[in-house]
Amino acid sequence: MTRETAIEKALEFFDDGDYVAELSRRVAFRTESQKPEQQPELYRYLEEEITPAFEAMGHDCRIFENPVDGKGPVLLASRIEGEDLPTVLGYGHGDVIRGLEDQWREGLSPWETVQDGDRLYGRGTADNKGQHTINMNAMRIAMEARGKLGFNSKFMVETGEENGSPGLHALVAANKDAFAADVFIASDGPRVSPDTPTIFLGARGVKNFDLICELREGGHHSGNWGGLLANPGIILSHALASIVSETGRIRVKEWLPGPLPNSVKAALRGLTVDGGENAPEIDEGWGEPDLSPAEQVYGWNSFEVLAFKVGNPDNPVNAVPPRAWAHCQLRFIADTDRDAIIPALRKHLDAHGFDMVDVLPPPDMNAGDFASTRTDPDNPWAAWAAASLQKTSGTAPAVIPQLGGSICNDVFTDILGLPTIWVPHSYASCSQHAPNEHILLSEARSAIELMAGLYWDLGEGNTPNAA
Amino acid sequence: MSREAVIDRALAYFDEGKFLDDVARRVAIPTESQNPERIPDLYRYLTEEMQPTFEAMGYACRIYDNPIAGKGPVLLAHRQEGDNLPTVLGYGHGDVILGYEEQWDEGLSPWRIEERGDKVYGRGTADNKGQHCLHMAALACVLEERGHLGFNHKFMIEMGEENGSAGVNDIVAAHKDAFGADFYLASDGPRIDAAKANVNCGNRGAVNFDLVCELREGGHHSGNWGGLLANPGIILSHAIASIVSEKGQILVKDLLPPPIPNSVRVALRDVIREGGPDAPEVQEWWGEPGLSASEKVYGWNTFEVLAFKVGNPDNPVNAVPPRAWAHCQIRFVVGSRFEEFPEIIQKHLDENGFDTVRVMPPPEGNVGEFKASRTDPDHPWPSYIADSVTRTTGEKTVKLPNSGGSICNYIFQDTLGLPLCWIPHSYVGCSQHAPNEHILKSVTREGIAIMAGVYWDLGDPATPMPARS
Repeated sequence: MTRETAIEKALEFFDDGDYVAELSRRVAFRTESQKPEQQPELYRYLEEEITPAFEAMGHDCRIFENPVDGKGPVLLASRIEGEDLPTVLGYGHGDVIRGLEDQWREGLSPWETVQDGDRLYGRGTADNKGQHTINMNAMRIAMEARGKLGFNSKFMVETGEENGSPGLHALVAANKDAFAADVFIASDGPRVSPDTPTIFLGARGVKNFDLICELREGGHHSGNWGGLLANPGIILSHALASIVSETGRIRVKEWLPGPLPNSVKAALRGLTVDGGENAPEIDEGWGEPDLSPAEQVYGWNSFEVLAFKVGNPDNPVNAVPPRAWAHCQLRFIADTDRDAIIPALRKHLDAHGFDMVDVLPPPDMNAGDFASTRTDPDNPWAAWAAASLQKTSGTAPAVIPQLGGSICNDVFTDILGLPTIWVPHSYASCSQHAPNEHILLSEARSAIELMAGLYWDLGEGNTPNAA
Repeated sequence: MSREAVIDRALAYFDEGKFLDDVARRVAIPTESQNPERIPDLYRYLTEEMQPTFEAMGYACRIYDNPIAGKGPVLLAHRQEGDNLPTVLGYGHGDVILGYEEQWDEGLSPWRIEERGDKVYGRGTADNKGQHCLHMAALACVLEERGHLGFNHKFMIEMGEENGSAGVNDIVAAHKDAFGADFYLASDGPRIDAAKANVNCGNRGAVNFDLVCELREGGHHSGNWGGLLANPGIILSHAIASIVSEKGQILVKDLLPPPIPNSVRVALRDVIREGGPDAPEVQEWWGEPGLSASEKVYGWNTFEVLAFKVGNPDNPVNAVPPRAWAHCQIRFVVGSRFEEFPEIIQKHLDENGFDTVRVMPPPEGNVGEFKASRTDPDHPWPSYIADSVTRTTGEKTVKLPNSGGSICNYIFQDTLGLPLCWIPHSYVGCSQHAPNEHILKSVTREGIAIMAGVYWDLGDPATPMPARS
């Protein structure tokens, strides 16, 4: 048996329709972690789908209860073949965001996959059921081809990622030995473009917060009071304008990353961003001047006004509004001081005369707060994984220091101290957090090849030495 | 037969409860002009309450149907005493805003007046039934006392003011002779200070418009796209910041009025804003630098963001939003280039790199389109009325050049060419567009005396009206 055989078997599995069939079964589980009433579905997904699949691959499975009451469980599947073999920790999440059933295109449903040309629609096809289903089968096929893995496998599947991975840090920290490994290899998120195999080594962090300017109770007739009462909508507009320029350049000095390491600069050089079909047009003049699009999203920080509300937008009246509210976000790369974000903003607002603008925690439903993480592009595991992908596809993959989006990657980098290698199988326009979520079957097919090759290579005995 | 006698007669009318009986009957007719089902009540108010009362005073009445389907009628009552006598046009509106029955305090109803201490509650007590009732009662007292008015009088009652006075200007413009007069005198709105009578010579206008920055369809994941896609919320914030400073100063010169006329400046020196006990705290650092508080609100233009929406505020997600929308307003005084405001703003935006922000018409629910008006406070007409008020109250009567808010004055100033004067009988805490609308008995009692004095003086050869202009 050879590497080629493993890849052929993987393609057979895909071409016979077995992949789509297995994924369709998993999509039918309504594992919406933001809905407390779907809690039993989270357990059922782990018990009825994931546990049997790993047990069939000779893994021992253990389900950890979430330390946070009412939050989803975490499965850890382990197969230890030898003390001296490298241990690889995998990851996936079985939960999905809300179905938003009534918003899907006619003929589509979040809970029943529909194939339309190259697209396979369904909630979780991209995020993340479709991705861990690829990895689990690629690992199984590589193991069957060789008769063993040739490495130790640990694979965790959590069920709370779309709800901010509550309890995950505490759970892993309390069970470090159980989750311990030499390297982390998993799949989530998009490739830089649908046809470009991609590795990302970390993820931008995110900090959501609210800005509120509340000057008084109730609105006051804009004729009788206009000119006498400060308008909080105008003040908050100015406060935002002081934080970020009209072309998206961040003006709060402490929010900017320090100098980028050369390894990161080199990794980003020449990288192009391609969102695929239906992607929005990139605004070249936006963001930090003189950065390439890849540098903007993978190598710099970005500030967003996610939502803004003044007065009563649905039923406006002629009144000086009492209150203005903006829900904002900073995405940041690893060279940013996460703990300084909010204090620096307070200082900035005060220094610019906006002491009447309060910085407050974001609403619970969108309380994004993730650390920024990055494994150094010079880490030998990065080169090793890139070589494996290149061996399969024939071209060098794109290696991104940090994904633009945010993931609980600090569980692996900081708590477990692992180099993190993410091999994403989706693309930027997959509608992963919206109606009409889908994967591209051509991309999934290339992904199962890549992963079969990668899991094969992990058992070849030539991985980097354990850190 | 004397000025004192007519005032005593008016005060007796009030003290015997007859005035509040008039108001009670009229408040009981639910004349909500924003509620299409109330059209029959709008007519009923005119045919059952206004017309009989005016006819009893020797006025000829005509009801004009509104040229706009589904809008309320207008009554014109006319008492002609002599072709050589000057003619005064009065105005009131018999419609009210929505009742909001369930939101009134325990035991109160919008359609039944209720006295509690100095307050008399009921929808329309302040805006405007209570105020035109004062005119009608005072006119009756003068007629009883003198036998005639001594001048010609026209009084129009419209039934759509709270719905934007739709069609009223068309009616007046089509019947200029019928509505024509020499002077305009009416009551609506609040006094500057509840404790002191004032007159008012005009109003600020309003132009509402939307600013929209729509960059693409749908939101895009802020992780995957943040830094690559322009954020319309940020752009619109900057656009607004370029129009008005963080201290409320309008930065676009063409949106400003001409310098405040000297007569207005002088008149405003007497105007001290007293919002009452529940009034919000005024920010002295807000608005045009160098102006007094009363100059800011009565003598200058103001820019407001009335509403602003980006993304989905009720259920926010981590996406670069596709669109930002702000609903804005400029209140302006006479002399402003208000008809060009939208173009002026668009030109300013285009010249400052905000060409992705478009000036759009406001939503139908809040079009807020009012012209400004002002009769110079030094004009003999408001001075004449202020002097009459002073004869009754014994106190100096402040002449407010114009109110901060907006009313359909342009019909009288522009369409009919009349010098304006208003005598407001309400106060700013009257909740006129909210639940618990009320008047103060003390102010209203003084109001009936003031109106009796004014209508007496208008027909008294000892206090001749100013020459017709």
